[in-house]
Amino acid sequence: MPLALPDLQAAFAAHVAGGDRADLAAVIVGDSIPAEARLRVYRHHVSHSLSAALAATFSTVHALVGEGFFRGLAQGFVAEALPMQPVLAEYGAGFPAFVAAYEPARALPYLADIARLDWALNVAFHSPEGRRLAMADLAVIEPDRLPSLSIALPLGAALIGSHYPINRIWSASQPGASAETVDLEGGRADLLVLRRADDAAFIVLDGGEAAFVAALAGGESLEGAAEHAASAEPSFDLSTAFARLLSLEAFAALRQF
Amino acid sequence: MAQVAGIGLRSPHLAEIARDLPATGFLEIHAENYLGASPARQAIERLREAYAFSVHAVGLSLGSTGGLDEDHLARVTTLVKRLDPAYVSDHLSWSVHGGRYYNDLLPLPYTEEALDVVVRNVGRLQEALGRQVSIENPSCYLGFAHSTLTEPEFLAEVVRRSGCGLLLDLNNIVVTAHNLRLDPLAWLSGLPAEAITEYHLAGHAVNDCDGQPMLIDDHGSRVGAEAWALFDAAVRRYGVRPTLIEWDTDIPALPVLLEEAGKADRAIGSPSPHAARAA
Repeated sequence: MPLALPDLQAAFAAHVAGGDRADLAAVIVGDSIPAEARLRVYRHHVSHSLSAALAATFSTVHALVGEGFFRGLAQGFVAEALPMQPVLAEYGAGFPAFVAAYEPARALPYLADIARLDWALNVAFHSPEGRRLAMADLAVIEPDRLPSLSIALPLGAALIGSHYPINRIWSASQPGASAETVDLEGGRADLLVLRRADDAAFIVLDGGEAAFVAALAGGESLEGAAEHAASAEPSFDLSTAFARLLSLEAFAALRQF
Repeated sequence: MAQVAGIGLRSPHLAEIARDLPATGFLEIHAENYLGASPARQAIERLREAYAFSVHAVGLSLGSTGGLDEDHLARVTTLVKRLDPAYVSDHLSWSVHGGRYYNDLLPLPYTEEALDVVVRNVGRLQEALGRQVSIENPSCYLGFAHSTLTEPEFLAEVVRRSGCGLLLDLNNIVVTAHNLRLDPLAWLSGLPAEAITEYHLAGHAVNDCDGQPMLIDDHGSRVGAEAWALFDAAVRRYGVRPTLIEWDTDIPALPVLLEEAGKADRAIGSPSPHAARAA
């Protein structure tokens, strides 16, 4: 009995996602190769191609754990969360959380943070560059208005904090990096991930800068963000930090100008 | 003679192509890789001034009974309107069900019911884009017992009812014909010649499937001898069309890819007498 097309597609989708469907095998021409073996080609391709897409997006995680371990990790995620749309660069938002809960990776406590960093770099890469805030933009603002100014991060920017030195772990894992031992007790890292003209990259922030940027991103005014930063890091100096971040093009241009 | 063979533009080659602007018939991109505002998209928009483009979609899921994903369609439409490419295409297959994307070209039974679905979806796509699109024959690893049409009959009927074009993938014919025990030359005969807009060529792998060889369309090697022979036959029968070399896994150095495209140009210049007889 042939399946109506909506039922056939439902059965096929369930089958490639891992559930065996006898009703499906019955409508497939078996001849010299059985229907089940033919169906396996599709199941295998779906799982492997999505794992490969995750390996491309989470390339640092992949480099750290190696192909065999990554495949198990990725296939576990694929089985739990298929893409909701066809753009593979947008697949994997839930992967860092999956890594964090993945029991076999427990010995690598920094791995989920590396996954968050890979994801943030991927999101920034696919975001519009947008105009950045420059010193000249501020020169035209009356000085007494500056403290109440709201400053946004560029589109696609993300602040990634970790208890581990993930910037050094990331750098040591890039293709062509020289072998380096990273001390996991080397202290926390706060990274601001940004779209750059030709790629995406991160800058390393100190504790005061990280609190400052986080507060700005949360909608605080310049003055309010500086207060947050000073309470997180008493040595925080607004003019030094602000000048450095401006020179790194870390802020979006003001909307009202 | 003019170069009619083009290459698939893949990210490892992007900087080299942008710098050297090598001569090739056209560049093909996968729509789904350029929907975000990445530096890569900015780079291809600059390349658009130097090359003709083919926008090849892989995720529109023209065979889905649930219709097209309108959000995805809108994004593809925006890209196509920005690039104004010479060709737009996707496959005779489905990849979306129940809001999940399966990242594969899943097979359809070739029935009147499926024909209605594909014709409706192709019509919606052409309406959104305001232009003709071409539909590519997929690589098949199985056939359905209740199919009432052959794949070429089905494609010809989609063309007749929707006004779409045909993208003939010679390697996919080799793969499908081997896996489903069909005659590739018989498959190739009887298509509406005027609808054929483009040819695709690629390599395939041979895997063991329960002790039997199964050809797998992995786009991971040079074009095989059977696909070249079928290409000769297609050119003899239907004429010269823009021809793409696809190479998506184990991507070689750019000169190797350009060399394969050069082989296609030479084959077009002199289809072999053997292929002419075979056709």
